[in-house]
Amino acid sequence: MDAQNVAQVTEMMYALRNPAGLPTYPIIFVGLNVLTFALHILFVQLLLGTSLVALYGAYTNNPLWRRLGMAMIDVAKVSVSVAIVVGVAPLLFVQVVYDPHWYTSNVLSADWVIAFIFILILAYWAMYLYYFQNYKREDKTAEPKSRWSLIVSLALMLLVGFIMHSLTSQILHPEMWKEWYMQNGKLDYSGDTLHAYNFWRYAFFISMAIPVAGAMMVTYRRFKMVREDADMQYLNFAAEVGKKWILVGSIISTVLYVAWMMTIQETAGDFATSFWGIIGGVAVLGYALWAKLRLNGKSADMCSYMALPMALVIGLVVATSREILRYDILNGFFGYDFFDYKIVMDWYSTGLFFLTFAIVGGVVLSYFLTIAWKAGQTVGIYTPGPGVQKLGTVAIWVVALWLVQFFVVGFYVWAQ
Amino acid sequence: MDFISLYPTWYEPTVGSGWVVALIATFHVLASHTSVGAALLFAYLSHKAYREDRDDLLDFIKKYGLFLMVFTYVAGSITGPGIWYSTTVASPNGIGALIHSFVWKWATEWVFFVIEVVGVYMLVYLVGKVDKKTHMKISVIFGMASLATMVIIVGILSFMMLPGKEQWFAEGGYLNGFYGTNTFIQMGMRMAFMFTMTAVVGGIVIASIKDPAFKKEMARKLGWLGIISTLTGAAMFQWYLTSVPDQALLVMENRLPDYFGPSVMIVLAGTLAYFIITMLRPQLVVQGFAGAMTVIILVAGLWPEETARESMRKPYVAGQYVYSNQVIGRDVPGMDIKSQLPTIEKVGILKAHPFTPDHLREVKQSNMIQAGEFIAMTYCSNCHSPSKTGIRPLHRYFPEGTSQERMAQYVKGVLTTGNIAYMPKMPMLDSEAEALAAYLVMNNDGGEAATSAAIDMEIEQRERALAEQKAADKVASVELMEGK
Repeated sequence: MDAQNVAQVTEMMYALRNPAGLPTYPIIFVGLNVLTFALHILFVQLLLGTSLVALYGAYTNNPLWRRLGMAMIDVAKVSVSVAIVVGVAPLLFVQVVYDPHWYTSNVLSADWVIAFIFILILAYWAMYLYYFQNYKREDKTAEPKSRWSLIVSLALMLLVGFIMHSLTSQILHPEMWKEWYMQNGKLDYSGDTLHAYNFWRYAFFISMAIPVAGAMMVTYRRFKMVREDADMQYLNFAAEVGKKWILVGSIISTVLYVAWMMTIQETAGDFATSFWGIIGGVAVLGYALWAKLRLNGKSADMCSYMALPMALVIGLVVATSREILRYDILNGFFGYDFFDYKIVMDWYSTGLFFLTFAIVGGVVLSYFLTIAWKAGQTVGIYTPGPGVQKLGTVAIWVVALWLVQFFVVGFYVWAQ
Repeated sequence: MDFISLYPTWYEPTVGSGWVVALIATFHVLASHTSVGAALLFAYLSHKAYREDRDDLLDFIKKYGLFLMVFTYVAGSITGPGIWYSTTVASPNGIGALIHSFVWKWATEWVFFVIEVVGVYMLVYLVGKVDKKTHMKISVIFGMASLATMVIIVGILSFMMLPGKEQWFAEGGYLNGFYGTNTFIQMGMRMAFMFTMTAVVGGIVIASIKDPAFKKEMARKLGWLGIISTLTGAAMFQWYLTSVPDQALLVMENRLPDYFGPSVMIVLAGTLAYFIITMLRPQLVVQGFAGAMTVIILVAGLWPEETARESMRKPYVAGQYVYSNQVIGRDVPGMDIKSQLPTIEKVGILKAHPFTPDHLREVKQSNMIQAGEFIAMTYCSNCHSPSKTGIRPLHRYFPEGTSQERMAQYVKGVLTTGNIAYMPKMPMLDSEAEALAAYLVMNNDGGEAATSAAIDMEIEQRERALAEQKAADKVASVELMEGK
């Protein structure tokens, strides 16, 4: 591309920015985007990986695998929900600082954007179908019913993942947007084509489902082993499979990461050999090393609760690399800088979010997760002790006060 | 250059992009309203179960919760961001205006979403696994968090019709944009609707109750909830109409179909009759009947209400400053936003649009229909399909055989001046108005087939001219090199 073409593309991106500006500094949105994307992709990988375990369990005759498969489909089902709800956040933040890119990419593939919604619903329902067909059966080692629905679910999940991958890839090619809008000399308003993808990048993110599912299996053992009715032979089997999956999966992912870096687009410059380009792959490989060193015990104190948080740490490094790659292309090559987005500062809404996030989110989720955790480890009915009871009361008050402030501030503004 | 913030256009010929948004949004309203209403109902029932030490109420919550999880939470949680997806592709500047003003409010709502999702799983799966008091606490938190998501989003939805307070235009500020008369009335209206939806969908769960006495008790509870909320909702809708701009009422009177009023009354009467029947004869509540009522109320009740709200905003799509065709049609000094109309008046829509192909930036005889189509897609297609079907098709608005001269007069006299109350002002250079008129006439007479054929011909001629030019240049350069 010559300099004039680059300048035209840059001017177009700046023109597409929303004139309402941002209510606070753009770096905050980018930071939250990275953080919430890392959380989102972790749950996506968890749902894919545990679905894969369930699928393998469904098609093998090994009773231990069958049991494990049925346990993991429960995790997969909840992970879909969490992946969707957590995914709302990066979907929000990407529209704030990358609106020119995200909106253009979406409009040019609009049919796929709409299809995404329906395919995801079908994928989720197919998973529920498998779950409802099998969860009530006493014998978890019997051959499961409706195994086909699990295949359908996984295939459709991979398809929605590919759509999302393509949309985010199209963001990185502003030089192609006008060309994509024309097909055979005619303007194409149909939005029926996905225009860009990088197979290795997609494969890398999907492949991380293997070590993440491994982490889940290791954690599963740690969580269940304290129950009075724990079957340690089965749980040890789950943890051994998990450890293997972390090790082998991380190595596969590292290879795919390197392949992604080797096929990176020209406008990314020397990103692949830069610090952030290298650290992403090192982090993924580091997960295998960490697992080898830390998950080496067979006793109750095996450091297995750390497996999932470690996966999140690796995910955060990769998410940061991914963001810097985007910045390198858009700013480094095209001179489009999100740092210079117009700011119309609004302290009230900025403050309200962070307070809600920290106080309401912190207190309520602490209470909820404590209850879920304890109930899962208790045989029979769990009755919380006074400390947890008090936390519950505080949680109720915190949410109630939030609602009160919402209406008090609202009526005050209205009456002004 | 004088680019403005216009994106490519997505055009869906069969139903129109507007209807795609409306379909997804209506479904989401059904799912989300039901789940918020049910969350509050669960808080009440859970509290009652704790006070009266009743397991049957907890079983009811579990059954209703499981039903919600599979249907409304799955579909509702996906169609929620699904509305973002659909509006992103159908109306990027509309959703962009909302996002950029209310990003933190959406982020705050997200915190409550996370609580909701964790909460619904706990509510369903912990029945019988935690003591009743703990279950009640979870239910109360879940109910209030659900309500929080509702009240937050209403402020944003309200902004779509108009900013909370008039001062927002002059002073800006998130609070001025979010809170206002319309916000609170709409909030009340939606809360009433959500209890109606909860009562209707709850019928599907009541149908599965085996114990006749308990079935009767729950049918009565939900029946009263439904009757009171339906009557309140209807009254609130009338009040809501007093809080919208005069322009919106004018559009409503002129643009909504004749069947709108009667259909709303029929749905209202039908809904009340349904609740009365379920209260008097709970044994009649079987899953098929309750399921059918849910669909009927969705199609006949929610659809007109959502369509009315969408129609009444015209010509704006957000905050009374973003036109439905994505152009910013008004200054907002408080946000340092400038109307884009002067720029378009100066350079024309083709030069102002960043995605105009280079060969269409100036209207010529050789690209007339292509340029006209591009302008129609940009300015018109969001509300009027150029195809035979879809949303308010263009061909219905012009008599057959309309001459090009007459069409050009209409475009210049009405569209470029903004002389229709419910349509945006659409500035164009004279040459652009002629191109649009040529396209509209051809579309009116021969439909898509004719315009498509004409565009193919223009492209062919252009390519031929380019090839000839290339050949001539080559000959000239060879001659130059040979020193002729």
